[in-house]
Amino acid sequence: MRYPLLPALLMLLPAPADANAYRAQGKPVRVARTMTVTPPRDWNQLSARPGRKAEVWTLDGERLNAVTWFGGIAPGEPLLREPRRRRTLPRYSDAMLLAEIPELLESTYRSAGGIADFTLTTAASDPFLGHAGIRFGYAYVDADDLPRRGEARAAIVAGLLYIVTFDAPRTDYFDRLLGDVHRLTDSAAL
Amino acid sequence: MTVTALALALLAATAPAPPPYAGAYQPVGVDEIGAWAEADEDERQLALSPLLIRDAALDAYVRRALCDTVGAARCAGVRVYVLRVPLFNASMAANGTMRVFSGLLLRARSEAELGAVLGHEFGHFERRHTLAQFRAQRTGSDLLGWGAVLAAMVPDADLRRRFATLGRSVYGALYRFSRDQEREADRLGIGYLNASRLRPQAAAQLWHSAIAEAGASAVARGAHRPRLDRIGFYASHPPEAERAATLDALALPDATDRDDGADRHADALAPWLPLFLDDQIKLNDFGASAYLIAACAARGWTAALWRARGDLYRARGNPHDLVNAARFYAQATALDPSLAAAQRGLGLALVRTGRLAEGQAALRRYLALDPAAGDATMIAALIAAPEDR
Repeated sequence: MRYPLLPALLMLLPAPADANAYRAQGKPVRVARTMTVTPPRDWNQLSARPGRKAEVWTLDGERLNAVTWFGGIAPGEPLLREPRRRRTLPRYSDAMLLAEIPELLESTYRSAGGIADFTLTTAASDPFLGHAGIRFGYAYVDADDLPRRGEARAAIVAGLLYIVTFDAPRTDYFDRLLGDVHRLTDSAAL
Repeated sequence: MTVTALALALLAATAPAPPPYAGAYQPVGVDEIGAWAEADEDERQLALSPLLIRDAALDAYVRRALCDTVGAARCAGVRVYVLRVPLFNASMAANGTMRVFSGLLLRARSEAELGAVLGHEFGHFERRHTLAQFRAQRTGSDLLGWGAVLAAMVPDADLRRRFATLGRSVYGALYRFSRDQEREADRLGIGYLNASRLRPQAAAQLWHSAIAEAGASAVARGAHRPRLDRIGFYASHPPEAERAATLDALALPDATDRDDGADRHADALAPWLPLFLDDQIKLNDFGASAYLIAACAARGWTAALWRARGDLYRARGNPHDLVNAARFYAQATALDPSLAAAQRGLGLALVRTGRLAEGQAALRRYLALDPAAGDATMIAALIAAPEDR
C-alpha cells in the first residue's frame, strides 16, 4: 500500500454529518432520518447515537436532560444498539399494542442499563405525529443512584414505531424543562 | 487439573472447621485504615441509596441466615444491607458492610443456600481478602511501572517483548490470586455451614442451579451452552463446575438430613417475590427467567407465579407465546380474581390474539379492581376501540 496511514488519518478528520450540532430556534430540521422538527428554542444534537435509528438532543448534557428520538423502528429491531451476536435487548413487534409500548421502553432501559428500580407512572392516549399515539411517564434510578423521571410519546405509523423520550433528574431539571419538551415534541411531524 | 481430579483431591482432605474468631477487629496499618475509611464512606452513601430495600422483616431474615451460618459471635460485627439489584451476587467490604442483592434472594431456594453465599462473603471479610488484593495489585502495578521505566531506558526490541511477557505474567498472577481467594472463601463458607445447624449440601446445590440457569439462558437465545468447567485467563472466580464439585466434596456427609430452611426462605421472600420476579423478567433473558419461575413453582404454582409467567411470554410476544400467556394469566386470575395485574395482562394478551370481547371484559375487570391505575385512561381507550389498538 502506498499510503499505509491514510485510512487512519481519514478517521481522524471530523466528519460533518457525525459532529455535535446546533439546532437553531425556528429552523426545521430532520430528526432520526424520519421526522421533521421545528425547535421552539435552541437545542444541541449529540453526535453519539444510542441506536441506529436514534438521535439525542440536550441542553446541558445528556445526563441532565436528554430528548431521544427513535425514528421508524421496524418489527424485530431493538431501540438501542446492542453488542454484535448478543441479542440482549427486547424487540419491537408490529403486533404490539400502543398500551404495551411503555413496557417495551421499560424493558429496554432495564436490560441495557442494568436498572432495577423503574416504575411506569402514567399512560394516556394522546396523538403524536398526527396519528393515534400514547403519552406515558416513568421514574427510575440509574446506575449513578440518582432518581430520574421521564416522559415519552409514541405512535405506530405504517407498522413502524416512533418514540421520543425526555429523561432528566427528578430534582429541578425534569420539571423545569418539561414545557420546552412539550413544545418541541408538538412540532414533530413525519 | 480437571474438575473431577480436583474434587477427588479435595475428598481426601477434611472440611476445615472455622478458625477461632477474635471479635471486634480494628484496622492495623495505613493500608487497612485507609481501606476502612473508604468503606465507611461508601457505607454512609449506601444507607441513603434509593436501591436499599427498607423492610425490617426481610432484613431480619437475611441477618438470621448469616447468623445461623457463621454463628452469633461472627455475625455481631456485620451490617447487612439488602439492595434491589437483579443480579446473582453479594459482597462484603473491609469494614463489615455486607451487601445482598435481590437477585441472590430470588435464586436461593433455602436459608442454607443463602447462608452458603453469605458465609463465603464473610470468609473474605474474616481473612481480610480486600486488603490482600489491594496489596497484590499495588505490588503488581509497581513492578510493571518500574519495568516500563527500565525497558524504556534500553532501546532493545527483545527487551520490550520481555516486558510484554512480564505484563502478562503479572496480570495472570493477579487473576489467579483472586481465584485462590475465592477458593479459600468457599472452603471457609462450607466450614461455617458444616459447623451450623443448616444442611451444608445446599452450597453445591446453589451452584448446580446457577449452571442450569446459565444453560437455560443460552439455549433460549439459540447460543451454545457456556463452558462453566474451564478456567479463563481473566476469570476472577473459579469456574462454577469446580465450585459445585468442591463444595459437594467438602460438605459434611452425615449432615444431609439437617434442615435447610426452605420454608423459612419462601415465607420471608413471599411479599417480595412478585417484585423480584418482575425485575428479573424485564431484563429480557427469557431462558433464565423461565428457569427461575419454574424453580419457584417447585413449591406449588401461585397466582403471582402464573402472572409472572404470563408477563414473560407476553413480553416475548410470538403468536404462540401470546396464546400461552393468556392461558397463564387465566390460571392466575382463577387462583386470585383480585389480582389486577393478571387481569390486565390477560386482557392485553387476548386483544393481541384477536379475542376482542374477552379481552375487553378482562380489561374492564382490571379497571374495576384498580380504577386509579396510572394507565387507566389508556386502557379505557383500548376498551372503547380495541381494533384501533
